[in-house]
Amino acid sequence: MSDTLRHAWIIARKDLLVEFRSRTAILSVAVFTVLVLLVFNFGRDPTAVAAVDLAPSILWVTFTFAAMLTLNRAFQLELENQALEGLLLAPVGRSSLYLGKLLANLIFVAVVEAVGLPLFALFFNVSLLPVLAPLAGIIALATVGFVAVGTLFSAMTARTRFAELLLPVLLLPFMIPPLIWAVLATAALLAGRPLSETGGGLRLLGAYDIVFVTLAFFLFPATVDE
Amino acid sequence: MKLLRAGRWITAVGFVLLAGVYLRALAFTPVERSQGLAQKIFYLHVPAAIWAETAMVLVGLASVFYLFLKDPRLDRFAEASAEVGTVFAAIVLTTGPIWGKPIWGTWWSWDARLTFTLFLFLLYAGYLLLRGAVADPGARRRYAAVLGICGMCLVPFIHFSVYLFRTLHPMPIVLKPSAPSLPGSMLATWLFSLSVFTLLYVAFVMQRYALGLLREPPAEGGGLHA
Amino acid sequence: MPDAVPQNAGFMVAAYITTAVILVAYAVTLYRRTLKP
Repeated sequence: MSDTLRHAWIIARKDLLVEFRSRTAILSVAVFTVLVLLVFNFGRDPTAVAAVDLAPSILWVTFTFAAMLTLNRAFQLELENQALEGLLLAPVGRSSLYLGKLLANLIFVAVVEAVGLPLFALFFNVSLLPVLAPLAGIIALATVGFVAVGTLFSAMTARTRFAELLLPVLLLPFMIPPLIWAVLATAALLAGRPLSETGGGLRLLGAYDIVFVTLAFFLFPATVDE
Repeated sequence: MKLLRAGRWITAVGFVLLAGVYLRALAFTPVERSQGLAQKIFYLHVPAAIWAETAMVLVGLASVFYLFLKDPRLDRFAEASAEVGTVFAAIVLTTGPIWGKPIWGTWWSWDARLTFTLFLFLLYAGYLLLRGAVADPGARRRYAAVLGICGMCLVPFIHFSVYLFRTLHPMPIVLKPSAPSLPGSMLATWLFSLSVFTLLYVAFVMQRYALGLLREPPAEGGGLHA
Repeated sequence: MPDAVPQNAGFMVAAYITTAVILVAYAVTLYRRTLKP
């Protein structure tokens, strides 16, 4: 068990090192996030709706697309250098590979969200500091859901011809239920309403995470085995 | 081949019986007072919805068994059920708005059942697109099985999120679309329709399965699978 | 309860025709795809 975790950390560390040395993918997604926020600002009629009403939606649509883009690159590196075969030959379990990739992807997406969140608060004049802790919790829960399924799917789509198109098509239906729960909880938070009002959305989000992390963990070997 | 011939015959029988359903529903079933003739759409819409969802569950189950047993027949069945399920989902998504317009006043109201079926349709589309994008047959079966299982596990979460979303955003409902219990004559028509849709599902799957067999290169595994 | 039954037969007809079209069209594509080339 501890071997699995140790190997997972080694794999995650490799991804993180490679990425943070070149920084290209992370920077691109961060810039993309800012641009999406801009699109939302100019895409709405400023006289019609107050920013605070749209804020939860804007935040979560932005994060959904940013997560998607980040996940697109998840297995790109291995593919480019045919390193995946090497990884599979190494004395590292398949589950370590999944956990390592999951961890690395979570950190990547977290970095992008950490950039996007203050900018969102700035652009749309939303005061987040009073609710920062519970909001961070909601973001963490939803992100785990996105990334657990996304890591699994990117292993499959990476080797198909239209990977960048196929991953969103496969992944978005799985991102929508967490999105719904996250938006409901965020809206309640920002409006100062108690979280219990969201009708168990957070519990469902937690259940979703447990189910899909476990499922992806057990299904991952099928995506890399012969 | 025998499966194909049988499938074609059963399809023919199914269509004759469908004509019988049409006749019975249109001419020999009482008109529902509050909704008028449009209510009769129910006799086609609901059986189609039942099979659109059941077909997805069957894809999921076949996928689970495929990953354990590695039997290509299970994969062929999953492929067939997915395609036929898509057809039934299309029926739900077209008859639904046609029914909704006179009853609710709008073509689309994000009604929980229709939204759920739209999700199903998108899951089916993703499944079929993934199958089309993977060249290697072994990988295709494994990936499709992974996606099929994830799709089946997503279904309860879609229910919870879509229905939750719905109850917090009540739609103006002019008339309740389905009565809690059907009087005898209507129930008989509905059951008749459900059995014909069942027959058509089976017949279509038989033919589609046969098509899957025909498409495979003859050298695979030898012998007769049917 | 409305006094008169709503007159919406057109929708019923549209739905019944659409369903038949979809089912028949699919059956036809299945038939043609399974014809030996």
